[in-house]
Amino acid sequence: MAPLAAPAVTGQRTRGRLRALPLRVLRGVALALYALLLGELFVRVFCPQPVMPRYVTGTSYGVRANIPHAHYWHHTPEVDVEYRINGQGMRADHDYPLNKAPGTCRVAVFGDSLMMGYEVDLRDDFSSQLEQLLRARGYRAEVLNFAVSGFGTAEMLRTYEAFARQFHPDVVLFSWHVTDMEDNVRSGLYRLRDGQLESANATYLPGVRTQDLLMRSALYRLVADHSQLYSLIRERFGLFLKGLVVVARQDRASAKRAVSDDPDDPDHGDDDAVRAALRRANAALSSAIVAHAAQVVAADGKDFYLVEAPIRVSRTKFRSSVDALSSEVRSHLTIISPLAAFRGAARPDLKLYYEEGEGHLTPLGVHLLASEAAKVLAGAPHLVACSANTTTATTARVASAPAALKRR
Amino acid sequence: MLFNSSIFALFFVAFLPLYLLVRRNIFWRNVLLIIASYVFYGWWDARFLILVAISTSVDYMAALGASGKTVRGVDRLKSALYLAAVTAGALAFARLSDLWLVLPVAAGMLVAAGWVLWIDHAPQARRPKLWLLLSLGTNLGILAFFKYCNFFVGSFSSLFALFGIKLDAPTLSIILPVGLSFYTFQAISRTVDSYRRRFEPQYSIVNYAAYHAFFPQLVAGPIERAAHLMPQFESVRPLDLTLFTRGALLFMWGLYQKIVIADNVAPIADAVFSAPQGKTSAATLAALLAFTLQIYCDFCGYSNMARGLARCLGFDLMVNFNLPYFARTPSEFWQRWHISLSSWLRDYLYIPLGGNRKGQRRMYGNLMLTMLLGGLWHGAAWNFVIWGGFHGAIQVVYRVLGVDALTDRHPFRTLQGCALQLGAWAITMTLVVIGWVFFVAHTLPDTVAVFGNLLGTSGYPSDLFWTLAAYAAPLALVEIYQRVSGRIEILEVGPFLVRYSAALCVLLTIIAFSARGGREFIYFDF
Repeated sequence: MAPLAAPAVTGQRTRGRLRALPLRVLRGVALALYALLLGELFVRVFCPQPVMPRYVTGTSYGVRANIPHAHYWHHTPEVDVEYRINGQGMRADHDYPLNKAPGTCRVAVFGDSLMMGYEVDLRDDFSSQLEQLLRARGYRAEVLNFAVSGFGTAEMLRTYEAFARQFHPDVVLFSWHVTDMEDNVRSGLYRLRDGQLESANATYLPGVRTQDLLMRSALYRLVADHSQLYSLIRERFGLFLKGLVVVARQDRASAKRAVSDDPDDPDHGDDDAVRAALRRANAALSSAIVAHAAQVVAADGKDFYLVEAPIRVSRTKFRSSVDALSSEVRSHLTIISPLAAFRGAARPDLKLYYEEGEGHLTPLGVHLLASEAAKVLAGAPHLVACSANTTTATTARVASAPAALKRR
Repeated sequence: MLFNSSIFALFFVAFLPLYLLVRRNIFWRNVLLIIASYVFYGWWDARFLILVAISTSVDYMAALGASGKTVRGVDRLKSALYLAAVTAGALAFARLSDLWLVLPVAAGMLVAAGWVLWIDHAPQARRPKLWLLLSLGTNLGILAFFKYCNFFVGSFSSLFALFGIKLDAPTLSIILPVGLSFYTFQAISRTVDSYRRRFEPQYSIVNYAAYHAFFPQLVAGPIERAAHLMPQFESVRPLDLTLFTRGALLFMWGLYQKIVIADNVAPIADAVFSAPQGKTSAATLAALLAFTLQIYCDFCGYSNMARGLARCLGFDLMVNFNLPYFARTPSEFWQRWHISLSSWLRDYLYIPLGGNRKGQRRMYGNLMLTMLLGGLWHGAAWNFVIWGGFHGAIQVVYRVLGVDALTDRHPFRTLQGCALQLGAWAITMTLVVIGWVFFVAHTLPDTVAVFGNLLGTSGYPSDLFWTLAAYAAPLALVEIYQRVSGRIEILEVGPFLVRYSAALCVLLTIIAFSARGGREFIYFDF
């Protein structure tokens, strides 16, 4: 009987398991729901998070762009901000014709979330402020906001070359933020070989396919727009993944060899020395990309400016972010730096950067930055054409004038 | 590769499926563990894998010989081939200019071969001791050169300078290989246990190499005993989802201690101890308390992560920390703090020196010597020696006064006992915290400055204490529960829903409050 009993017992077990399966699934679902609810409660009570969904998608030219016609909100403990993206992927309340109106100049702004205007209303973002300030100075200028959250210099350049050129900008502003250094490594669009910059990957669309898929779901959009738990996990997981990509793309072995070979390095390649070597390598790459961007824009006959976003040390202390770039590259660029203005305006009771959201500029911080930019651009050769008091002849004369502005 | 780094996460995700695939085959499982452990260790600097291999090769033979077993020709060949293969592999990832390393390795092999020949010609009865000496000479020699060479040279120069003699002794530019003090001590303990016949070594070099290099505990312990861990490498380890989950929970708790507590309070300590001169009293006290919390959570966190990882693979590592900040006397503190090291020092240093078997004066001397060397184990600097001496001295005083016996005689249940135990705890903790000053302030002027700052009253009240309290309070509540309930693994306590909720909360706390940057573990420097 024993040989017959074993399959019978096994069969009973299998049937028992099958019967219990729906209950197990139900239990799993209940536990998952419980985890989500507990997580949401925990986050809201102990560590409230800003809810700042990203509405980005891929483009045919291989980098990200804002989703056209997107309309969404960001909620932080400090602000609630509405975003409207126009049909061309710019943060604006209207579309722009490809050709500008006669007598009007165009300034194209490229950057990351700081320039896109995260945590400030449309009227307070850098492009709007700059446009108002230039108009107040008598320029018929349009400022087009091509910034996309998460962009580094390499992606800005790709967007300029493949998309923004068709809008015929006269002046091109690239922002420089401390995060750009790693963003440029991460994107892998360029690399340095024997000190020379060369194109590398054709595309950098991190998570875009997944994001596009998820964005089709109304439930996902509801969660992304309202859940603090989701915001927390997305931000931290995103940082984790970004760290992984940087590790994968950095040439750690070369950096290690470089410090081991360095006779002046007393640590002979310990982790701090390797990290310092990697930072130097990252800075060299970013410097080369910025220099290349300036050349590309200059070759189009436009003025190129680098707009510095200072690093916030504390509410009243700021330091330069652009110092990370090589001094040689800096000496060939026109850099718009609000550092002195920030230091001058700093007060313990004033915030130039938000402190509880994701640390973007406040309207006051944006205003200081835009004011510095307006001051510098007031002398830009290509903007003379749209000055209310300037003749066409003057325009022709200054068009070939060198962009001799240096760091203000 | 740090446990709290993204690269380690990638490493483990790649390693685990392979491990699950081969885990039932002891040979291939151990081969995989060796490869993975060498990748893990070589991530810092592949050249130092040669040291790991030297220690492995020598101790493989030495333990066999010390146990009285025959070290056959094939065993010697296995040792030599293993060392040669690892050296070649390590140099494949090094620069051409590192090829000179072949010379000292070859020279070391020749010396070892000469020693082995001498053993072969020695009388049978003396051979185990000579094998033991080979292990001690190799491991302590490596340790002395890489960790203490410059310390001794510098100290001798300073000593002669006191008498007006100027020595121009050259100091070498030596990097301290990560985990050296841990794996050499573990190797020594196995050979000594074999010599004492407390452990019987086997002939498989693969099993031993996997034990020697086991990545969860290679770089910062626990310093395991062969009798506990080695048999686990010689058998198929049971592993199921429950055990894996328990391992993951323990790892998560360790990660919480490390990246939420230790790394977040570290800046408070760094701000003062990087340059203590001129700091306020409040900032200095806060920094000292922060360091007290940091060093505990850093190392205990590491140990928990190591134990959790090992458990996820089916291995059991010893408990290294057992609520040390609840100790009522300094000797109890050392029974609870870095247990694997303090028990190592007890078994291989204090007891062989005579322990407490040779009279009270000798016992006090042994205790002082053990603690001084224990201090020196932590780092090649006089501040660590002073720290060890301080702990030795307070243990001697406690023994002279009979405080340990007194606390044992008065249990917590009575009012008198309660007051006595709380008082003893408060005094011990004050002494432990004072001891950390010697540990963390690296120079005598810094130490004087810290004590000077502490005696003042400037800077109070300070918000730093609230920050510290925010990190310390949850841990204190958990540890009070652990102490009262006697259950050390907190995430395994209570009904399912309680455990599930607690694990979720710890995970969310890690996600939300982890410090940015990924600091190294303090004990990696030792």
